[in-house]
Amino acid sequence: MSAVFEIHNLAKFNWEAGAQGESRYLFSRISAEITKPERVALIGASGQGKSTLLRILALLDIPDEGDLLLNGASFKNSNPREWRMAVAYVAQQAVMLPGSIEDNLRTISRLHGQPYDAALGAQLMEQLGLDHLDLAKKAEDCSGGEKQRISLIRTLLLRPSILLLDEATASLDIDSTRKVEALLMNRHKEEGTTLIWVTHDLEQAHRISNRTWVIDKGGMQEYSSAAFFDQPVGGAVHS
Amino acid sequence: MTLTALSFTLLFVMGTMLVSIWQKLGLEKDIAVGTIRSAIQLLAVGYVLQFIFQAEHMIYVVLIIVFMIGVASWNAAKRGKGLPGLVWRIAVAILAMELLMMGILLGLHIIKATPQYIIPISGMTIGSAMVVSGLFINHLKHEMQQNKGEIETLLSLGATAQQAMQKVRARAVKFSMIPTIDGMKTVGLVQLPGMMTGMIIAGADPVIAVRYQILIVFSFTASAAITSMLLSMLIYRLFFTADLRLKLPGNVD
Repeated sequence: MSAVFEIHNLAKFNWEAGAQGESRYLFSRISAEITKPERVALIGASGQGKSTLLRILALLDIPDEGDLLLNGASFKNSNPREWRMAVAYVAQQAVMLPGSIEDNLRTISRLHGQPYDAALGAQLMEQLGLDHLDLAKKAEDCSGGEKQRISLIRTLLLRPSILLLDEATASLDIDSTRKVEALLMNRHKEEGTTLIWVTHDLEQAHRISNRTWVIDKGGMQEYSSAAFFDQPVGGAVHS
Repeated sequence: MTLTALSFTLLFVMGTMLVSIWQKLGLEKDIAVGTIRSAIQLLAVGYVLQFIFQAEHMIYVVLIIVFMIGVASWNAAKRGKGLPGLVWRIAVAILAMELLMMGILLGLHIIKATPQYIIPISGMTIGSAMVVSGLFINHLKHEMQQNKGEIETLLSLGATAQQAMQKVRARAVKFSMIPTIDGMKTVGLVQLPGMMTGMIIAGADPVIAVRYQILIVFSFTASAAITSMLLSMLIYRLFFTADLRLKLPGNVD
């Protein structure tokens, strides 16, 4: 299910700024609008606040200025639980919850009292090359790459309308990376899921996105991915 | 015991202070302060109890129990620097425990409804609840710092604060009860508890003394469990903002 998502003049202070001339903002005046299912690559050099922006979009962090609207309702008047179920965040460092792989997959069902969609769980595990894993295995004993994919599947079982991905393929090999990309492209196409994907891999950004947000020098510019990658404007990012 | 005989026990303290000076441990001041404080506190409580036992009025019993809960709560809350409103939450947990315990002990006529029974037993269970509360808060803060990722993962999946904290709370409750349970397992084998020892020295039949000690051991276990669980219910929300973001206190003691 698609959602209308608006970002208005978002700003976050940089509390560690102290040096003369250093901006007191980590970023400011960030605005964007998503009115139909999109695939957005969020790129920029390290330390520009990409992960912070993603966390703010998931309401795990709070903006110091500006507003966020989901289907016309400001985050200030929204129930954070309902918001996070619609705008779901997948962290860069995959955290396995105590218990088995199956316990992790059943998290959504347990939290929200919904029946567990075993067929979808199995299908997603297969699509990401995890079908060989014993579901009774302790999740904490899985490899870094397996954990990252399990954490993605755990979130996909929420069926969010907007998926916030913080370097979702950072600990994966090429084969697994391509499987994740294919799966997410498929979810976008079939379910209308909007993807907002932080990545340092510009080739990946090119492959997966139709829009590119470049966060640089405390601000954010938006480009059509086709135009951006054919004639890269974000020189700072490329260098 | 005469006061002269009692004063000879100061030899232990002086010996310890001399060892501290000789070994340059720097403990002399703390030992001196501790000795004077404990002597004054205990002598004062002796006179207070004497007065209450003679007065035979329940209002004094209530007052002394309220005072005990106040001191215990204030002391345990020191473990949770950075958590606002902790003192009254601990006080509520300990008070609820005390009401429940005394309700059962008096309601079922397990002990007599006199200050001689109510005050010492309350003092012991409140003291135990204070230790448990301090341990619980300390461990909960530690768990929160260690498992920030787990809690935020659950929040990002739409969990309530209660759901996000469930495992962390359970681990902290379990941890806070370890000393009580270990004490229960080894009581009489490793150490002869204070109450029983006191009764035997005062001339009571050891079997009668043991009965009271069993009562205390069971009360301790129940009070530890009740206080820790109630406290976990009362304070978990302090780690979240109103809009359900994780809020960790600055430092872990």
